[in-house]
Amino acid sequence: MNRSASNAKIESEVSLLQGVRPWGRWGLRAVAVSYLLLMILVPLGTIVQTGFSAGILVFIRDLADPIAWAALKLTLGVAVITTAINTVMGTLTAYVLVRLEFPGRRLLNGLVDMPFAIPTLVTGLMLVVLYGPQGIAGAWLQDQGLQVIFAKPGIVLALLLVTFPFGVRSTQPSLMELERDQEDAAYTLGASKWTTFWRILFPTILPAILTGSLLTFSRALGEFGSIVIVAGNIPGQTLTAPVHVYGQVEFDNARAASAMSIVLLALSFGLILMVDWLQRRKARMYAAP
Amino acid sequence: MSGEMCNWKRNTAAALMLLGFVSVVAMAGCGDRKRPGEEVTLVLGAYTTPREAYGRAILPGFQRHWQQKTGQTVRFRESYLASGAQSRAVIGGFEADIVALSLEADVERIAAAGLIRHDWKSRPHGGMVSNSIVVFAVRSGNPRGIKDWSDLASPGLNVLTPDPRTSGGAMWNICAMYGAALRGFISGVPKEDPQAAAAFIKRVFQNVSIMDKGARESVTNFERGVGDLAITYENEVLVGWKAGQIYEYVIPRSTILIQNPAAVVDSYVDKHGVREVAEAFLAYLWSSDAQHGYAQFGLRPVDSEVDIAVRNRYPPVEDLWSIDYLGGWQEAVGAIFGPEGVYTRMYRELHGAK
Repeated sequence: MNRSASNAKIESEVSLLQGVRPWGRWGLRAVAVSYLLLMILVPLGTIVQTGFSAGILVFIRDLADPIAWAALKLTLGVAVITTAINTVMGTLTAYVLVRLEFPGRRLLNGLVDMPFAIPTLVTGLMLVVLYGPQGIAGAWLQDQGLQVIFAKPGIVLALLLVTFPFGVRSTQPSLMELERDQEDAAYTLGASKWTTFWRILFPTILPAILTGSLLTFSRALGEFGSIVIVAGNIPGQTLTAPVHVYGQVEFDNARAASAMSIVLLALSFGLILMVDWLQRRKARMYAAP
Repeated sequence: MSGEMCNWKRNTAAALMLLGFVSVVAMAGCGDRKRPGEEVTLVLGAYTTPREAYGRAILPGFQRHWQQKTGQTVRFRESYLASGAQSRAVIGGFEADIVALSLEADVERIAAAGLIRHDWKSRPHGGMVSNSIVVFAVRSGNPRGIKDWSDLASPGLNVLTPDPRTSGGAMWNICAMYGAALRGFISGVPKEDPQAAAAFIKRVFQNVSIMDKGARESVTNFERGVGDLAITYENEVLVGWKAGQIYEYVIPRSTILIQNPAAVVDSYVDKHGVREVAEAFLAYLWSSDAQHGYAQFGLRPVDSEVDIAVRNRYPPVEDLWSIDYLGGWQEAVGAIFGPEGVYTRMYRELHGAK
């Protein structure tokens, strides 16, 4: 069924391009490809060039600096935690928004995207006001001996908020596409709700969930605006890699800033390639007779 | 029908591409040209602290002054950014005719890029237009009994200071701390002993829990109730007071004189053809009117007569010294914030190496 759908898609693409002169067809590709090269590859190339401008040894030394290394470890740690939480919560939210009826659903659905609309600097400020020592939540937490803002939990909190839409919005469309019949069939054939979820629903939406997690992770690696406000930015403790990069830029050390950026870029890119590979392999396994 | 559709699509694509191209070209060519006759535009690239002093006192003052003198109307295009960012923006192509920044190093960077070609420090007061000092903001009533630098190291105190990597202000703060220690103004720290001074800085930074990216953010956090003490500039406190904030400040016995430079950017004034009015504006910054304007908005004047006139608001400091004591900016930055500097090594010892 999937295959016929994709065939239909190819046909429609062919028919759409019929009657277009060859240069027109290539023109479209040329526009897209050169746009991608100009807007993304060229700036990235500059960063890579700057990062390696003094050779690979200096590149390694820039990263091996204890403060830089601590910042990188912290960033990876909080990104992993954020991704784990938001993958689960995002999928759950998407499921509830798609499958369950309740008053205010549309409003909530609209709210999901709000973190994208607010400048992340403001997100940071909101959190400080709420969880800072004079905030309602902050005062209570402090009484319990918990410091959230200007500590690691604050960083995770900011990242959770900023990346929340990715988890929901990647999973939602594939949930909506999924025919309810399959679930109903499985259920009527005696599968428990839990089995139905694991055997029917989950495998179908897994690629979408993975995409969402990847976006969440990449965004968490690079987030700056809210972090610089809530973290406290103490080197070796709460200084994240993007804030470290900013410090190096401000300190006229473009090379060290680029070196760290290259690592963040490589991590994101490597993960994207890896997930892509996993999905292809899986698709091949299913396609094999 | 389908052919028509495709044509339409192609045209749209072409139009979009053209639009993109045109906007890039337009952005690149968006400089100021000299307007003939009665109106002239000056672009001011400043750091954020003196925003009100410029916006509410000095720029209107100069507009009146220039109108009376020449009949010309001066329009200002103002940009306020963190000092380092502004300096880099000017180098990157933000065509400011005049820069007014927080520290010498930021103007020197523009000079090193070849955009300022004259000896800008040969102007009155070495090119400096306003002063301030490093002070401590403390809670009302000074509950922790802060009197001087040595109190900053007392255990359990929560100290705020911005990150010196991102904020010129924090560099002043740490220079002030280091210099006061070297000058023998911190009890228990022998005079002229760099190692003891470095050890003192380390003790203070064990009390620092938050390093914001700029001086303003740091004070804002303090105003929000974070921390017991913020190392900051006198003018930040005075601006906070103007905005209705209630807290006190303590002037340490020994502190650094913060000197804020201003300069004409040769390349851009020549390009815009506004050298005459730009030079006049720079000269105006040292006039009694402008100096009072700075004083009105929290900055200490460089002009000695105005300084005496505002003495009641800006009390003299027992031991006030300039960055020259640490060998000037370049040397101080290297010795304190360089790869093997006092500050850099301290953080490596404190947190980095486990």
